[in-house]
Amino acid sequence: MGFSIVGKNVERVDAYEKVTGKAIFVGDIKLPGMLYAKVLRSPNAHAIIKNIDFAGALKSEGVVAVVTGKDFNHRFGIAVADQTPLAVHKVRFAGEPVAAVIAVTEKAAAKALKLIKIDYEKLPCVLYPQNAVQKDAPVIHEKFYQYKLAPWVSPGGKNVYQHFKVRRGDVDKAFNEADIIVENTYWSPYIHHVQLEPHGAIAQYNHDGSMVIYTSSQAPFVVQHCLSELHDIPLNRVRVIVPYVGGGFGGKSDVTIEPLVSCIARAVPGRPVKLLLTREEMFEGTVVGRGVYSHYKTAVSKDGKILGMEIKCYLGSGGYADYAVNIVSGIAMSATGPYEVPNLKIDCYGVYTNTPPTGALRGYGHPEAHFGAERQIDMIARKLNMDPAEFRMKNLLVKGRKNAIGQIMTEHSGRVDVCVKSVTEELFGKPKPEVKGNITIGRGIAAYMKMPVMPTNVQSGAIIKLNGDGTVTMSVGAIEMGQGSYTALSQIAAEALGIPMEKVHINTEVDTAYSPYEWQTVASHTTWGVGNAIIIASKDLKAKLREAAAKVLKVDVDKIVLDGEKIYSRDNKEKMLLWSDLALGYTSPKGTAVTSPIIGEGYFVARGLEKPDPETGQGNVAADWTFGCVGVELGVNKDTGEIRVYRLINAIDAGKIINPKLAHDQVMGAMVQALGSSLSEVLVFSDEGKIRNNDLVDYKIPGLEDVPEQVKVIFVETPEETGPFGARGLGEHGAVAVSPAVANAIYDALKVDFVDIPITADKVIKAIKGVD
Amino acid sequence: MKVKVVINGITFCEEISPNTTLLEFIKEKAGLTGTKTGCENGECGACTVIMNGKPVRSCIILAAEAHGAIITTVEGLAEKDKLHPLQQSFIRKGAVQCGFCTPGMLMAAKALYDRNPAPSQKDIEEALSGHLCRCTGYKPIKEAIEDAFNSHYN
Ligand code: FES
Ligand code: FES
Repeated sequence: MGFSIVGKNVERVDAYEKVTGKAIFVGDIKLPGMLYAKVLRSPNAHAIIKNIDFAGALKSEGVVAVVTGKDFNHRFGIAVADQTPLAVHKVRFAGEPVAAVIAVTEKAAAKALKLIKIDYEKLPCVLYPQNAVQKDAPVIHEKFYQYKLAPWVSPGGKNVYQHFKVRRGDVDKAFNEADIIVENTYWSPYIHHVQLEPHGAIAQYNHDGSMVIYTSSQAPFVVQHCLSELHDIPLNRVRVIVPYVGGGFGGKSDVTIEPLVSCIARAVPGRPVKLLLTREEMFEGTVVGRGVYSHYKTAVSKDGKILGMEIKCYLGSGGYADYAVNIVSGIAMSATGPYEVPNLKIDCYGVYTNTPPTGALRGYGHPEAHFGAERQIDMIARKLNMDPAEFRMKNLLVKGRKNAIGQIMTEHSGRVDVCVKSVTEELFGKPKPEVKGNITIGRGIAAYMKMPVMPTNVQSGAIIKLNGDGTVTMSVGAIEMGQGSYTALSQIAAEALGIPMEKVHINTEVDTAYSPYEWQTVASHTTWGVGNAIIIASKDLKAKLREAAAKVLKVDVDKIVLDGEKIYSRDNKEKMLLWSDLALGYTSPKGTAVTSPIIGEGYFVARGLEKPDPETGQGNVAADWTFGCVGVELGVNKDTGEIRVYRLINAIDAGKIINPKLAHDQVMGAMVQALGSSLSEVLVFSDEGKIRNNDLVDYKIPGLEDVPEQVKVIFVETPEETGPFGARGLGEHGAVAVSPAVANAIYDALKVDFVDIPITADKVIKAIKGVD
Repeated sequence: MKVKVVINGITFCEEISPNTTLLEFIKEKAGLTGTKTGCENGECGACTVIMNGKPVRSCIILAAEAHGAIITTVEGLAEKDKLHPLQQSFIRKGAVQCGFCTPGMLMAAKALYDRNPAPSQKDIEEALSGHLCRCTGYKPIKEAIEDAFNSHYN
C-alpha cells in the first residue's frame, strides 16, 4: 500500500506549545479559591499508629483543615482492594501518607505539618521479596482475606497475594534428558521512573456529591472509575481532566495520588485543593518499579536446543499490591525470552514487602524477566561452546513455533531472527574502537519480545468532528506524555481520511466529560488501539459524507466518489461538493435543510483474546508481540571500574512505522533510560526501609555525558495484521533487553558474570579484584 | 520586603517574604508558568532562566538576590510572531518529547547562543551539563542546538 502521510517524519503537533512555555501541566493550573495540601508521611516502614495529635497544626496560621485516615477509611484497588488513601491503624512502607494539612498557601501547610505528633509502635520490616516469603517474615496484611479480590487474583503463601503459573509439557523429563543444565539467580532492584514532572493533582469535592480532579495521569478513566467507587459517586459526576503530562513511563498509570487528593478534598467541599509532590516525595510517595528476584534453570541438548525451563520469580510489590498484580503475569508470560521452550514450569509470585508500592515501569515485567532469560542464554552458549547468536537462532520464536502461553507465531508476528541477524552484523561488522589506558572492550547482544499486558476486551475510542471549513477536530482518551502519540495519531487520521495533516487538529487535554473512553495510556498500545479507533471513526465520517452527498446529489450512495476533499457522483463529475459544503449539514438554495452536521465516531475493541488458563497460563492472551534485539559495545576501565558504552543498537520489528523519526527517538529514549538502570540506578534502602537516595544527585539518571556516541535503531517492518496500517507498539520496547546485553558485553570484556544490576564501578572493581 | 525585577521586558515591583525564590516569584508574582519545577533543589535544570545574561537555576536563587536584575524566561524567547532560531530547531529536530525539561534546556542554550557564536561540542555539552531529560536520550537536544547555530551563523 502506498501511503501519503503514514511513514513520514512530520513534525510533532505538540512541539510549538512546548517550546514556547504555553503547554499547560497540572502544576501550572491555579483555580479560583484554591487551597494547598501537604502530606505527612510515615518515617517507619512497618508500624502501628498509636496516636495522632494534630491540635497544634490546626491552630497554625492559614490552616483550614487536617485530615487523617480516621476521616475516610474506605479501601480501594482494582485487583486487590488493600489500600486506604491515608494509613489507618498501620503503616506498611516508609513514605505512606498518615496525615494531610490543607492551608491557604503551600508554605503554611508545610509549616503546620511539623506540628503534627504521631506515636508509632515499630514492627519488624521486610524489604525484599525473597525474604518476605520466608516462614519467619512479618505478615504485612493480617486481614488480607477480608479484602475484595478480583477473580483472577490467586493468593497463597506468606505475604503472597498472587501466584501465576505457566505449565507446558513435561519439565522433569526435559531435565532428565538434558546434556547441559544451567542454573542461576538474578536480581533487578527497586528503581524509580524519575519523570521530570512530579506528580500533582487538584481535586474539588462539591456539596452536591460531585467531584472534579485535574491530575498528571496516564489513566483518567481508571482514576474516574476508582474515585467513583471510592466515594460512591456515579461516573457522570466524577470528572477527570488531564492536561499535558511531563513523562509517565508507567509511574502515572492506574491510580497513584488521586485517591489521596480526593479524600483530602472532602474535608473542604466546594474548594479545589492542590497537592504537588516534591522530588523527595516522588521517590517514596508514588510507585517504584522492578524489584524482581528470579531463579532460572534451563535444560539444553548438546546440539543447542532448549529442552525445558524451570523458573521462579518473586516480585517485591511494596506495602500495597494492587498496582502490581498484572506485572506478575507480565513477568511470567515473557520469562522464557523470545524462544520456543517445549517444556515449562514457571511460577511467579507477587509478594508484599515494606517498600513503596511497585507499579508499572516501562516494560512492565519484561525487562526484569529478560535480564534473567538473556543472561542465561549467553551462559548456556558458553557451555555449549557455541556462538551466542547462533544458539539464539536455533531457538527463536519464528513462524510456526509456539510461545510459552501456547500462541503459534505466524508470518505477521514479526521477525525476531531478522532482528538478531541485523544487530549481530552491525555490532560485529565494525572494528573495535581504539582506546587508551587500561580499558578492555566487550560486546554483547540480547534478544527480546514484549506484549501489551492489558484486558482482553481493551477499548479505545476516537471522535472526529468535521468543522464548517472542512477541517477536523479530533478527540481521543489517550494521553500525550511525550511519547508522540498525538502526532502519530494525527497522521493516522489524515491518512485514513485522505486529507492533509494541516487539516487535522487533535485536542491536547483529555477530559472524561468530553473525551471518548480509553482504558489507559500504557502497554505501548496507543498507536495500535487508538489508531484502530481512528480508522473506524474516519470510515464512519466518510460514510456519513457519502450518505449526505447522495441525498444532495440525489443519486445512490454507491455512486458517490470521495476524492480527497471532493465529493461527486461517478456519473457526473462536474457537479462537485466539498467536505465544507456538507460539514454542518447541507442547506438548499431555498434555505431548506437537507442533511445534518457530520461527526465521525469509532470505538475499537480487541477481539478474540482470552484470559490465561489459571492452572497452565495458556491462552490467546497477547494481542501481539513486538520482537527485537539489542547490541552493546562498551569499554571497562580496569583501574577505575568505570563502564563506558560506545555503541547501542536496537533492531525492532514494530510493524509499519507511522513516523520514523518519532519512533527512532522513542526507542533511543527507552534505551538510554534502561542504560541508567543497567549501570547506575538503584533505590538504596536503609535496613529500616527508608530510601536513602531520594534526590537527583544520589539517584543518578543518565545525563548527556552518559549517552553512547552511537545509538542506532533498525526497523524491521513486518506488518501487523491487527494494527492500523500494519503498526505495532514500540514505546517501551527499547528498554526491555538493554541490561542483559550490557551484562553480556561486560562478560565479554572481563570474563565476569554479573547477575544483578546496576553494574556499578564499585562492583566491577570488586569483581576484578576477586578474579585477579 | 519589596523586590524589583524586569522579566521579559516588563518591570515587576512586588512585596514578598524574604524566603521567596526567584522561581516562585516568576510563577506566582509574574504569573509566568512556562518555567518548570522539577526538583526545587538545583539538581535538574528545568527551572533555568537567564539572569543578567547568565543561565541560573531559579529554584535556588532568592528573589531578593535578583533585585534589579534583568530576567528572560522561555516566554521571552520568541519575538512577536517569530520563534527564536533555537525554538525552531527544537521543533525541527524533535528535541521535545514530554516538554518538561524543554524550557530549561532552551534557556541554557540561549545563554550560550548569546555569548558564543561558534561553540564547540564541548561548549554545548558544558551548557547542558546537569540538565536532566528523561525522555529524549539527549541526542536530539544536542543536535537541535548545533543546528540552530549552524543555520543562524552560516
Ligand atoms: S527545579 Fe530548579 S534545578 Fe530542578
Ligand atoms: S522531554 Fe521529557 S524530560 Fe526532556
